[in-house]
Amino acid sequence: MVDPVTRRQWGFRALFLALAAAMMFVQILPFRIDNPRWPGPDTLTLLAFAWVMRRPDYAPAFLVVAVTLFTDILFMRPIGLWAALVLLGYEFLRRRQPFSRDLPFLVEWMMVAAVLLGMTVTNALVLAIFLVDQPVLGLTFIQLIISIAAYPVVVAISRFALGVRKVTPGEVAAMGHRI
Amino acid sequence: MARDRGNSDDYTRPVRRILIGGMVLICLALFLFWRIDSPRAERIRAQIVDAVVPGFGWALVPVTKAAGIIENFQSYTRIYEQNQELRRELQQMKAWKEAALQLEQENAKLLDLNKVRLDPALTFITGVVLADSGSPFRQSVLLNVGARDGIQNGWATTDGLGLVGRVSGVGETSARVILLNDTNSRIPVTIQPSGQRSILAGDNSSLPLLDFLEAPEAVRPGDRVISSGDGGVFPAGQLVGQVVLGNDRLLRVRLAADYERLEFLRVLRSHSSEVITDPGSLIAPARLPGPPENGNG
Repeated sequence: MVDPVTRRQWGFRALFLALAAAMMFVQILPFRIDNPRWPGPDTLTLLAFAWVMRRPDYAPAFLVVAVTLFTDILFMRPIGLWAALVLLGYEFLRRRQPFSRDLPFLVEWMMVAAVLLGMTVTNALVLAIFLVDQPVLGLTFIQLIISIAAYPVVVAISRFALGVRKVTPGEVAAMGHRI
Repeated sequence: MARDRGNSDDYTRPVRRILIGGMVLICLALFLFWRIDSPRAERIRAQIVDAVVPGFGWALVPVTKAAGIIENFQSYTRIYEQNQELRRELQQMKAWKEAALQLEQENAKLLDLNKVRLDPALTFITGVVLADSGSPFRQSVLLNVGARDGIQNGWATTDGLGLVGRVSGVGETSARVILLNDTNSRIPVTIQPSGQRSILAGDNSSLPLLDFLEAPEAVRPGDRVISSGDGGVFPAGQLVGQVVLGNDRLLRVRLAADYERLEFLRVLRSHSSEVITDPGSLIAPARLPGPPENGNG
């Protein structure tokens, strides 16, 4: 039989996938509601980061990279580059996740913001090196700022509506293995 | 923390590192492949989108319908003003219609007098917009017609009012249309009264830019912009929009097509026009007739 911990884990993975699908779906709806001068936040990356800072086992790397690669294809972005960057950012945060468990939210927010900034700059640099046409740089940075500003919202929704919380020491003992 | 760092990770960490590194490498290899062999990568992308997005169709329809209902409902609230407005417009339209009819007759007469032959090959296929690009940096929409319906890359699309974009990427049952305001869109245009040639370059704003204008002083805001067909990739004579002066003092085009409400698009079948290659040669019989033998035989 499947133990409850594993079941819960796979349930949340499925939830992650469903949320990602819903976000993609909303984004490709043929409305042009939002003014093109104000791009929306990159909700998918934010979701992945918010979850990895709480429960990395709910948003495993293979799932994140698969979803991001798919959005690369769907949203007409250069295939693979953003996925690679998201994976690198994900790993960076995942490494630091055990240390940041006790840190205040503000520090976590700053860390995520720094990672997003690094990813955006690297993305722009690589595209420039490979001589790929890229969107106006100002627009990219507006999106970055909006994404950073939206991070607490994504965290609040994940935490209070979906119940993705940081692990408490007691829980670790109850599960008896690394999480 | 109840966990002694490193101990339990000792086995998994190197493996994990290799796996993550491998995934990053695969992604970067995909990026390189996309950069090196862009047409093939874009074809693969079109095929994947073609397989996925029409599957969303069942879900897209109710959402778009619901949005339509909300929009219609909002319009009920100002139905009286709308009615008045429509009446006024109708009055003007009647005058215009009269003028148009007269002009049409005159035009037909003149064309007949001049024996002008119009291009008869411009027929169209109508498709429904399935999805848009989903990215704030790309302006494109996906249509539900594709290679199955004979759509080819490079064909122009209009929404009945004005030019919308060109087909770029054709799947079996879907086709992507790059809109005129996408940063990758470049369309040769003519500005009507002055006859200036220009390139309409999208820059992700709602007003694309008029680029490579020879004599900007000959162009005034309000001039009509139509496609010129230069280069032979785009049909000529399609209405694009009107010249406006942007906030940045650059000449831009207000598009005639209703970009807020792209629902049905016409894809114009354009057939490659005949190309004249040789400069023309002397018209003469194949060989000179020999000298007549025995003049009066």
